Amino acid sequence: MDATEVTAVLARARQGDSEAFRTLVERHSRRAFQLAYRITGNEQDAEDVVQESFIRAYRQLGRFEARAHFGTWLHRIVANCSVDLIRSRRARYDHASTDALDAADQPETESPSPERLAASAQIQRTVAAAMTSLSPLERAAFTLRHYEGRSIAEIGKTLGLGTSATKHSVFRAVKKLRAALEPLRSES
Amino acid sequence: MTKHYTEDDLILYYYEERPRAGDIQAHLDSCEPCAAAYRDLSATLRSIETPAAPERGDQYGLEVWQRIRHQLPEQELPWWSAWFRADRLALAGAFVVIVLAAFVTGLSWSSGTKSAPTAGIAPKTSVKASADDDGRQRILLTTVADHLDRSERVLTDIMNAPAGHDISAEQDWAEDLVLASRLYRQDAADAGEHSVALVLDDLERSLLEIVHSPSKATAANLDQLRRRIDAASLLFKVRVLGDELRQRERQDAARPRALSTHTS
Repeated sequence: MDATEVTAVLARARQGDSEAFRTLVERHSRRAFQLAYRITGNEQDAEDVVQESFIRAYRQLGRFEARAHFGTWLHRIVANCSVDLIRSRRARYDHASTDALDAADQPETESPSPERLAASAQIQRTVAAAMTSLSPLERAAFTLRHYEGRSIAEIGKTLGLGTSATKHSVFRAVKKLRAALEPLRSES
Repeated sequence: MTKHYTEDDLILYYYEERPRAGDIQAHLDSCEPCAAAYRDLSATLRSIETPAAPERGDQYGLEVWQRIRHQLPEQELPWWSAWFRADRLALAGAFVVIVLAAFVTGLSWSSGTKSAPTAGIAPKTSVKASADDDGRQRILLTTVADHLDRSERVLTDIMNAPAGHDISAEQDWAEDLVLASRLYRQDAADAGEHSVALVLDDLERSLLEIVHSPSKATAANLDQLRRRIDAASLLFKVRVLGDELRQRERQDAARPRALSTHTS
């Protein structure tokens, strides 16, 4: 779909054309799921976030500026829906989400040795467990910075935070993860 | 004496977010303690791999669509769209005609009666001022409603934080919100929205208290914050006011349509 077609689809969707909105859903769902999964660390939660994000996006399409990129706008909604969902299910996360831990048990395809494979899996398992101890904002800020490669300015804009608050969320997340990984680094 | 870089500086440097990165690089080349700290930090961060999300097939988008298609709500109209609807344009046209008529009448009146020279100008000014006020009011409603949403999140986090929890993320956020709250309170007071200004005033006090609490909040600290939030029924007020403002936004957008229905 070229830029002109995207603009036309967006214009129709903004006028309430649900078929046009369907095109946007089909085009952006996989990317939305990936981001939601990285922030929530849980498959079912990520599914819920994707649905809620598209419903929220449809409701707010009137506020979407035609000059902006729909993917970027949706990315912001997905990140915030993920933060909201983690907050609302905080109690559950306090008792550790297991999906990310299970995922870390999956064998990697490019591992030079069994020792390296085991060490890497243990690191990812520890990271997954430590991620559940981060506050929702720290978790989202770290995911966007470390996994998604977004700048501090972009993250602040996405999460509605000032620059200082964004930086401190990333700092705290890194420090907590380092503390969690420290015993493993001492062993190696 | 050589100034060493902090862990925060090195984190920003790792993520290429630090201005004057060349200075840090030069320092790391000559300072072994900082170089060792950076090696350790970067090795840890490099070891954190992006988690692989479970695979979703080509039909995933369609599956999502099937799940949400019957739940799609009504779209919210942007505040400015009301000004471009045909019925509103017709209304604006009618205003222009009235203003012109008043102006012409005023001119002919003033040519005959010198004692009332501004009779034709007054209505024009007041209509323009009224339209400007309307627009400002609508922007204020939207902005304050968004601000209340964000504040509600911080308050909810504080209400649910366990004792000993590090609340510095919430404090940073609250600090940003305090500045915004102050401006919106002033705007609301200027616009005659006194009930909005009162809630924002309460909100500002609680946000300030959050900002000035210890980051490692003890049970007693958290209890004090919660008592203040509870005593002012702040979460309740913030939610209700947020909903009310959103409703007013929608009503403002719908009002011209209702007028046109009555007049047709």
